[in-house]
Amino acid sequence: MKKMVLGGLCAVLLSAVSTLAQAETIRIANHGQAGIDAMKSTVERIEKKYGVTVEVIEYPAPDKDYLTKLLTELGAGNAPDLFSIPTTAAVSDMVEAGYLAPVTKEFKAWDGYANLYDVAKELAVSPDGETYVMPFMLGIQEIYYRKDVLEKAGISTEQPKTWQELLDRAAEIKQKTGAYGLLFPAGVSWGSGAFDEGFQHLLVGSKTPQLVDADGKLDLNGEGIKDVFGVYKELIDKDLMPTQPLLGPEPWVVPKYQMFPEGKLAATTCGSWCYIFDWGRESKNPIPDVTKVVGTWTVPGQSSGQYVLANLAAPWAVNSKSANTELAIKALMEIGSIETQVSYAARIGNIPASKGAADNAEFQKLTELVPIHAAAGNGVFLKQASGFGTVSEGVARATEALLRKETDAAGAQKILVDYVKETLGDDMVK
Amino acid sequence: MARNSHEKRAERQWLLILLPSLVLLLAFVIYPALYSIYLSFTNEALTGAAALRPRFVGLRNYTRLFNDAKFWNSLFVTFVFVIGSAVIGQFVLGLISAVALRRPIRFRRVFSSIILLPNAAPEVVAGFMWISMLAGGDNATLSRIVSFFGITPADWLQVFPLSMIIVVNTWRGIATAMILLTAGLSTIPAEIYEAARMDGATPSQMFRRITLPLMMPTILLYMLISAVSTIAVFGLVYALTRGGPGGATEVVSIYIYNQSFTAFQLGYGAAVAVVALVISLILGIAYVRAMKVEV
Repeated sequence: MKKMVLGGLCAVLLSAVSTLAQAETIRIANHGQAGIDAMKSTVERIEKKYGVTVEVIEYPAPDKDYLTKLLTELGAGNAPDLFSIPTTAAVSDMVEAGYLAPVTKEFKAWDGYANLYDVAKELAVSPDGETYVMPFMLGIQEIYYRKDVLEKAGISTEQPKTWQELLDRAAEIKQKTGAYGLLFPAGVSWGSGAFDEGFQHLLVGSKTPQLVDADGKLDLNGEGIKDVFGVYKELIDKDLMPTQPLLGPEPWVVPKYQMFPEGKLAATTCGSWCYIFDWGRESKNPIPDVTKVVGTWTVPGQSSGQYVLANLAAPWAVNSKSANTELAIKALMEIGSIETQVSYAARIGNIPASKGAADNAEFQKLTELVPIHAAAGNGVFLKQASGFGTVSEGVARATEALLRKETDAAGAQKILVDYVKETLGDDMVK
Repeated sequence: MARNSHEKRAERQWLLILLPSLVLLLAFVIYPALYSIYLSFTNEALTGAAALRPRFVGLRNYTRLFNDAKFWNSLFVTFVFVIGSAVIGQFVLGLISAVALRRPIRFRRVFSSIILLPNAAPEVVAGFMWISMLAGGDNATLSRIVSFFGITPADWLQVFPLSMIIVVNTWRGIATAMILLTAGLSTIPAEIYEAARMDGATPSQMFRRITLPLMMPTILLYMLISAVSTIAVFGLVYALTRGGPGGATEVVSIYIYNQSFTAFQLGYGAAVAVVALVISLILGIAYVRAMKVEV
């Protein structure tokens, strides 16, 4: 009997010790090798400061696959303690699913809070008023164009003022150089990029610039949406935008990494990362003197205005079912250090959300990013709402139908509305 | 009496031997299948409010499914894919290979090995291997080959997506077809052919009158295995096209994946999976009936 009691006690003790040991390990999901490299010193700092072991797990690189794996693990209850979210469109839905731990109090008390751009703080607030994600890095997007190609052909490099001017410029490029004039990411294979890197750019400058009404309902029947799809339709019908590569499994490879460097595509939407990751020093196919030969235009509005899109670039969040939420939140704050932000900027090309990064000696060396960082506060964005992930997928489907010339602008809008209604229910859509 | 207890003991021993397999079957086949059926009646999702509070929605997923053009498209694509690659491609080429390699030809072993090789590559590996052959427009290996003969190159996976996945799946499956059909051929006594030959039958007549009828049970078995396994093909299509462009190669298995893990609608994805299961069951039942007729 004594032996049994002793054995039982030992088992309980062992179990307690192993639970404690588990609590001392934080698992972090990171997105590709560049992200892991960027986090290296931060991981060491977290381990030293809190006496924990940080296990960094590399998740699949394409955003779509990463999100699928992350959501599957969150749904199953075995996701890492800390993770970045590959698309902001997914954040509200993840909050609704109860996957993310609220960090409002800790975020506001964090010593770097005051130093963040307002746009970053606003982007981090969820529809329920709480903050669940850390807005450490921003994706600042515009239209990037081949200045050298346009100048050589005698085409104006002036900022286009309206959608029509932009379309006319694209047509002129095609006519005078034979190159495709403008690319907006589109189609199902591009995943969330069809929404994040394409559709949003035009929508914010349309007649109906938001997708959510005052009640938080998705308003997808707005005139602006049809007009945005109309721009795609014109680009596709007039062969101003490459369509075939967009229908393949890796649609970004040919236009962004081959056609643009070769000058066969003269303008495309892109983010600050393009100067480093896509065509700069981290690229497999770099464009020499990239900042000189590749210029930027803000995205013109439908009839006026100029828009620079600001997104949270893969914001970080804490798993609400983490074994040690408190410790995970502390680690989360360490990722927000200016040192880590600059490290990410250098490897991935996103923009630090802290204004203070401008004074960082390492950041000053990133001459491509310094002016973008200085102007980051002017970014505009779409208000987030639950169901945005579905809207994003619906936009991908609608633009794919346009790419395949199966529908017109009104038909594309119907595809979007029908898809969202089918998936989320009629009552979610106004 | 003693014999009875001996039989009972033997039965218990068999049960013990079967037990691990039964447990695995229950855990990894029966339970997931039943759970999928249960899921198909809910709005379970991986994200949004339904992930937190899934509810029973009755037949909603099924009624949605029957009005879903994309689902019908996936069934049609699957049907064409199965007919094209399993019934026509693999079967015809497999049968030709089996008949040809039965004869005493030179380099028989070399040919057999070449035909068997594709089967050694896992689906996804085969898919990625064929991407370099088919994708990339002018740079694709196939484009370079056809250019040599004066044919205009293309991005084959974009221009002929369904035909291309049929070709690749046919390439992968010939070996299985050949092995099964060779086994069937070997059961036909040589004397029958000898007698037919003495009666003056031509090779074509022998094939139609002897080989095909006597091979029918093997052919039917092969058709069933091939059809069911082709319906379930996922990795190959995912690696090659991910169901695109525009749903042109979105077979049912890809559609299930897209609904469950791209749209994150587990309940709806499960409903599609249940329907696919029912279709496979119908094929199985049809096979059993056909076999009875043969017997």
